[in-house]
Amino acid sequence: MLSSEGKDESFFISVKKGGKARDFIMRKVCASDMKHNLAEMKSHVLEEISKVSTSEELDSVRVRYLGRKGEISVLLKHIGSLAPEERPEFGAAVNALREQVADAISRRKDELDKLALEEILHRDTIDISLPGEVYEIGGLHPLTKAMREVASVFSSLGFAAYESREAETDEMNFVKLNIAPGHPARDMQETFYLSDNTLMRTHTSPGQIRGMLSLKGKLPVRFIVPGRVYRRDPTDASHHPVFHQVEGLAVDIDVTFKELRGVLSAFMKRFFGQEVSTRLRPSYFPFTEPSCEVDISCMFCKGKGCSVCGGSGYLEVAGAGMVHPRVLVNGGYDPGKVTGFAFGFGLDRLAMLKYGIDDIRLLYGNDRRFLSQFRGL
Amino acid sequence: MRVPWTWLNEYTDLRWDPQEAAHRLTMAGINVEGLSYEKLEISSVVSAKVLDVKPHPRKPGQQIGILDAGTEKLQIVSGAPGFKKGNIALVVRPGGTLPGGVRIEPRELDGVVSQGMAVCANELLTGQPPRPHEDIILLPPGTALGIPAQELFELDDWVMELELTVNYSHCLGILGVAMEASALAKTPLVLPEVLEKWNWAGAYGSLEPESHNDGEPEIQINLPDPELCPRYVGKLVEDVRFAYSPVNIERRLYLAGQRPLNLIVDATNYVMLETGQPLHAFDAGKISGKAIAVRSSRPGEVLVTLDGEERELPERTIVIADASGPVAVAGIMGGKATEITGATRKVLVESAYFEPLLVRLASQKLKLRTEAALRFEKGVDPTAQAAAAERAAALIAGLSGGMPVSGYAETNHLQIEPKRIMLHMKTVERVLGTKFSPETCREILEAINFQVEEGGTTVPEGTSILVTVPPRRVDIQAEVDLIEEVARHYGYGNLGIGDLSRVVPGGITDPHKLCVEKIRDLLVSLGGMECVTNSLVGPGDLACLGWNSGDPRGNPVRLRNPLSSQESVLRTSLIPGLMKVASANMRSGIPGMFIWEIGRVFFPSAELPIEAGQIGFASYGVLKPETWLGGPDESGFYRMKGVISSLMDLLGAFNIEYLPRAGMPFHPGRSARIVANMSTIGEIGELHPVCLKHLDIPLPVTASWLSLDGLMSAVKPRDYKAVSRFMPVERDLAVIVPEGVPGGDVIDSIRKTGKHLVSVILFDIWRKPPVPPDHKSLAIRLVYQPQDRTLTEEELAEDRQRIMKRLKEDYDAVLRA
Ligand SMILES: [Zn+2]
Repeated sequence: MLSSEGKDESFFISVKKGGKARDFIMRKVCASDMKHNLAEMKSHVLEEISKVSTSEELDSVRVRYLGRKGEISVLLKHIGSLAPEERPEFGAAVNALREQVADAISRRKDELDKLALEEILHRDTIDISLPGEVYEIGGLHPLTKAMREVASVFSSLGFAAYESREAETDEMNFVKLNIAPGHPARDMQETFYLSDNTLMRTHTSPGQIRGMLSLKGKLPVRFIVPGRVYRRDPTDASHHPVFHQVEGLAVDIDVTFKELRGVLSAFMKRFFGQEVSTRLRPSYFPFTEPSCEVDISCMFCKGKGCSVCGGSGYLEVAGAGMVHPRVLVNGGYDPGKVTGFAFGFGLDRLAMLKYGIDDIRLLYGNDRRFLSQFRGL
Repeated sequence: MRVPWTWLNEYTDLRWDPQEAAHRLTMAGINVEGLSYEKLEISSVVSAKVLDVKPHPRKPGQQIGILDAGTEKLQIVSGAPGFKKGNIALVVRPGGTLPGGVRIEPRELDGVVSQGMAVCANELLTGQPPRPHEDIILLPPGTALGIPAQELFELDDWVMELELTVNYSHCLGILGVAMEASALAKTPLVLPEVLEKWNWAGAYGSLEPESHNDGEPEIQINLPDPELCPRYVGKLVEDVRFAYSPVNIERRLYLAGQRPLNLIVDATNYVMLETGQPLHAFDAGKISGKAIAVRSSRPGEVLVTLDGEERELPERTIVIADASGPVAVAGIMGGKATEITGATRKVLVESAYFEPLLVRLASQKLKLRTEAALRFEKGVDPTAQAAAAERAAALIAGLSGGMPVSGYAETNHLQIEPKRIMLHMKTVERVLGTKFSPETCREILEAINFQVEEGGTTVPEGTSILVTVPPRRVDIQAEVDLIEEVARHYGYGNLGIGDLSRVVPGGITDPHKLCVEKIRDLLVSLGGMECVTNSLVGPGDLACLGWNSGDPRGNPVRLRNPLSSQESVLRTSLIPGLMKVASANMRSGIPGMFIWEIGRVFFPSAELPIEAGQIGFASYGVLKPETWLGGPDESGFYRMKGVISSLMDLLGAFNIEYLPRAGMPFHPGRSARIVANMSTIGEIGELHPVCLKHLDIPLPVTASWLSLDGLMSAVKPRDYKAVSRFMPVERDLAVIVPEGVPGGDVIDSIRKTGKHLVSVILFDIWRKPPVPPDHKSLAIRLVYQPQDRTLTEEELAEDRQRIMKRLKEDYDAVLRA
């Protein structure tokens, strides 16, 4: 939009009048006047460009001045009417004007594009405070979470998972583990029987025998047996007739009690935290010799003694030992050539200690409000 | 077992405090579960001399005494025979207390004030009145006056509560614990005189002293069946007078958990607690005939036991019998008829070895878990019978309770060969991972009274020692057992920790397991909450789902000895457990849930039940409420079918078919069998309304199960195909088919008939005009994408015609205008 024509009117009028105006310029304008006029034209055009508010208008301004028949282009066509000595100067001045105008148009175009984009962006703004589309995720059971951690630690120590049977023979559950009929150790096992000689396994230890037999004497033997076990204990805060254990077994030509200590201590640190220390206390299991209870320093009181650890500063979490030679024989290995260690622990107890769950029934009740607390990593 | 600290220290002078001792013993495998200071709750009980007595003017039998209690004089009334001038008694001063909160105040007895009370042992130790014929406590002449009872007797003491594993039965006597402690503390073991003479602690077990005076046994012992009882010793004590034990012995028995009765019975119990060998005292005068026999019970035999119960003796119970019949249940409890009473003048002390298993079985059947039975069933030292009987007899004599008859009667079928085991240093190192010298092993083993000799040093395995195992150590059978002895006395904590640089993966791999974990992750990301439910269910849970004997799921494996009928069979499906979870959550106001479980189900088979892996699903209600973006997300058949499709997609299990109508517990019109390779691998559907009613579930529930094996069998390895460079073309197709035509069949048919189709999606179903009644219009989006070109319009039209021709023929379908 050309708004102020004021003192430049004559110039513009002359320009706009086509042929006559050209005559006027040719005749009346000397070089210095002409320079003056170009300067005025420049300020006028630049102002016009700065006032343009749409890219369409800007385009028409461009055509009007810089187009093939635009007013600045037209000026050059009449350069011949000037004195020869004035021509180069005039030509240079017009070209400079041309460049300045083109530059101004281009800058203005960028400005306008930017403004237009800003306008669009503003128009398309959304209320980011509103809730998003939620894809409800489910969750793993805390026992599965604990089991995965256990499996991953043991996997890094070379132990693969082997799943054994839950219903077992008396032979596998007891006899092959050096627990003969009438053995006092059977007092420790409250067993659900299916028939005279079949039962629900009372521990994952028969998995030791089945695992060894499946490897047919190959070395090394190194696996864990996770799974459900069954005891005839009425349900209360710390007992459930069905619960979970993890058994571990390593057999090779040079497996020692010392390595067992290393494996258990590494596991406890990885599972419960670096500050947890492990101690082995002599104990008795028919299928290991020497045998031990595995205690860890109580993570609730840092070993000072509290109600969870009964004031002792230690928590009993597992049983372990060197595989009894008779058990090795029952698994098809020669105790004269190989040694082995085995360990077993209650997964439920481990999970309860890790997550601070005080009642085992919560694990089997599957209340959504309980389960959903374990959804995270 | 309870071990009073003072009693333990009588055999070895431990220079530890009780806490340290408890820790050391525990770390050597003698598990001290508890340690408590047992304080007798008494006050102001002191020694006092009776200066003078005069009869009570109005109460016959009562004496009024003036007593010197050191700092004060007290007037005390008592009717006890020992309340005589010059005797030193134990009195409770006014304001003093006895156990059980009994407070003694000055009181008037028919006009005479008694400033306190002279007490008997029962009052002192329990706060209860005197037992029959019980006199007040009399202190030795010369006892200082005004001395508190706690200084005169061992009343307050630490008590260790042992929780012994079955292998440490040698610690079922305090001497056994002392032997372990003395080895750990390196303090000498001091045996009571008789046991020392019998070399009770030796590596060969108890041996009869050479000078032992054998008398002529007055009683004959018949052991017709050595299997039941291979060794039986009877020791007679005569001139027995009825008495209670001294205060210190009674207190020790209380602290050890044994109620004192009378001097004779207490002596046998004391020796049992000391040595671990249970003893029984018969009133010899009440035994008929001159012989006793140890035999098996006969059908219908009954015995009134010491506790006054008449008991029918189970089959295969070992009994002690005289000429009249059973007089005791061997190793468990004596009979009432031959018990020690005030009238007993002659006692037969029994010390025997009974077959452990038979004692255990009888004790279980009779529900009598006595201290004696506990020890017999673990196996007692087979050499210690005579030594223990002699020890008891000497104790009785020492307490002036009677005169032992010289010698003893015995029948013995046991031939105890010393157990000798070669311990190789190489094996020790191989098992423990630490090198041991023969000297270290020898030192450790000798400290717990094993005998060690230099063994075959020339054997190729290197140095070894020959170890003789004491017969009391019934748990030591082989070389590894000796290694454990060495390790636990050396200290597990001192054995060093192995480094884990040598990690060798061990042989077993389970590809199934990996799949299962991926399935778990998928189900979680699809919103499923994993459950772990009981694998024991009730027959009612199966019946509720309509599974009767005609269905394998209605024929579960049954437990023989369930705890309750609700947990009496093995689950045949995961659905019953999930229904319980759904129902419980509904009842706690959870509006909707999608739950699943992966676990085993069981079916009867010839020997062991079949165990099959299964995935179970259930969902109900609104899974996600309506939001401003849309919804709600409701559970139902199609949502669950979608989950299963995603699962199949994950696994690469294609060619899955859904065939209408699954059986119970599903709604016949809203359920399907899931079939792969012509066999049913699962079912899906809404629950039958009848089942919901039986389960008392108020909301519709959708459930499904998939066999893990079935699922894995449907998995096909995927082939890689090059990605097409050409743009896909979409075409929509609306076909009208009769209502009865399964939509899925139409989609499958299109998929098979069309060429170059990469996707066939049903996006709408329309049943209103202009679609004729009993018909539906299926709107289907087809996506074409050949490998090598873009299809022309002609080709697309041709394909449409081909599809419509097939649909027309198979389903009477017409193209919707
Ligand atoms: Zn603690």
